[in-house]
Amino acid sequence: MATSVLLACGLNEQKLPGFVHISEESNVDGSFLISCILGQRLRISNAGILLVCLQHHYKHYFNAGMRLGYNTNIFLGKTLDVIDVLRDMACQGLKSKWLCCPQGLSLTEQLVVDIRAQLEKNYASRSSYTILIDNLSILFNLGASKLQVQQFCQSLADLAKEHENLTVITKLSNSDIHTLTDNNVAKLGDVRIQVLRMKSGVFREVDGKLLIERVLDEGSYSCEQSRKEVLYKVNDRNVKIFNPGEIGVKV
Amino acid sequence: MLSNLVVTNQKVVLIIDQLNRERIALKFIGSLLHEQGEGAEVKSLPIGTQLQHVASFDAFLNELSNNNNNNASAQSPGEPTIKPSYNVILPTLADLLSYQTPAYIFDYLNKLRRSDHVRRVFLWASPAHLQHVDADYILAGCEYLAELVLRLETETTLALISRKPGGGVSNKRYNCQVSKTEFQVSPLMESKEAKEATIEEDNVKAADPGGTFKIELDEDEMVARNALTLPYEQHNKEPTEGNIIYTPDADDDFDDEDPDEDLLI
Repeated sequence: MATSVLLACGLNEQKLPGFVHISEESNVDGSFLISCILGQRLRISNAGILLVCLQHHYKHYFNAGMRLGYNTNIFLGKTLDVIDVLRDMACQGLKSKWLCCPQGLSLTEQLVVDIRAQLEKNYASRSSYTILIDNLSILFNLGASKLQVQQFCQSLADLAKEHENLTVITKLSNSDIHTLTDNNVAKLGDVRIQVLRMKSGVFREVDGKLLIERVLDEGSYSCEQSRKEVLYKVNDRNVKIFNPGEIGVKV
Repeated sequence: MLSNLVVTNQKVVLIIDQLNRERIALKFIGSLLHEQGEGAEVKSLPIGTQLQHVASFDAFLNELSNNNNNNASAQSPGEPTIKPSYNVILPTLADLLSYQTPAYIFDYLNKLRRSDHVRRVFLWASPAHLQHVDADYILAGCEYLAELVLRLETETTLALISRKPGGGVSNKRYNCQVSKTEFQVSPLMESKEAKEATIEEDNVKAADPGGTFKIELDEDEMVARNALTLPYEQHNKEPTEGNIIYTPDADDDFDDEDPDEDLLI
């Protein structure tokens, strides 16, 4: 269902890079990537996943997963753990720890504490562990400053360095507006996936473009990088990818 | 090699990177020092979340002075005293600004500059990563403190501003060839072709003033204009001595006698 897109992004392997960042331009939706990655990680036996829901609540990922051919509820509480910030806020209102900051911690600091707690609980018993953050730009809406978001990502990157089999995957929407934050988060990892809109406008058969940048080798004075560009189309039950120029106007 | 230009007597070195190479900043500076045989005397601050603790900055300063004192005491009394000192590589300015205020960073940079135990301080700044609202001013402040500013402008050019202790400042630009392991530089010579291109460009600009009058010249008009000698130019062509050219008239009556003979000059 989503193998081709993961293959194009180089995220279909069992061991993923330590830090992967997805930059999503304005007016495009890259949420399908999170669902694709989630499905791929759930299929690996004994691979732990922590889903931090900031843009959508858990139900969204469940529904998206059902369309892509996997059931998250089977794994929930076993290999899949969820920090559902939006649901907590909706259920508990202003008493929610994300809003009232009971220990004097900011939202991002509280998130780091919770993520660390989950990691300590589950990491030892899993063959690998993946933390999915969807998405960072919601933190701005919830009152976090740019510096706090940067510090949050730095903490996540430190976690990835501390744990060998840990992968952190972040997504930031409106990356063209939050350029500096986007650059600073992207530099923490070796893989950056940019979800871009079509420059030529809207096209029925293609939704947008994925630009995948991967650092192959860090030299003393320059980096060796690979860049790959593919077009994508999100259908009802799958995601298709095309090479640039493969699809044309049919007369 | 770039290291010959950067690893000099200047103490505070600022590298302004406009090419987004921030991820290899530490490696880059480390390689420069290694090329100059100073790779063993490098100290760097811890990076990442540890930067939020002011104590780690102070501990780093103490560590520098303690190491130096230990090294000095290890020397035998007969040996000439060599003042040991370190090359300090600071975290990138973007990382520093994530955790500390600009005032603290400037203060710390100044402390390092004044420290006897520090031979050189390296600071890396990538404008594309500076998130602070006053990033431009902070970068200007760092440039003010730095004695050597290396600006990586493009893949093939760089600029180097060097402030000497006597007050002299030199601003030079270089061509560069970068590979993964080598950074070769050569002084940037403005080639004849480049100059001609600039002149042509100027002419094109002058030819298109955006007005309704035709003030540009054709090639023929240009030749004609250059061939025309203007009156003041004619004057210049004549011999500089004050010769009087007189054409005698038919009715002129010349007196052979000298009218001033009686003056006994």
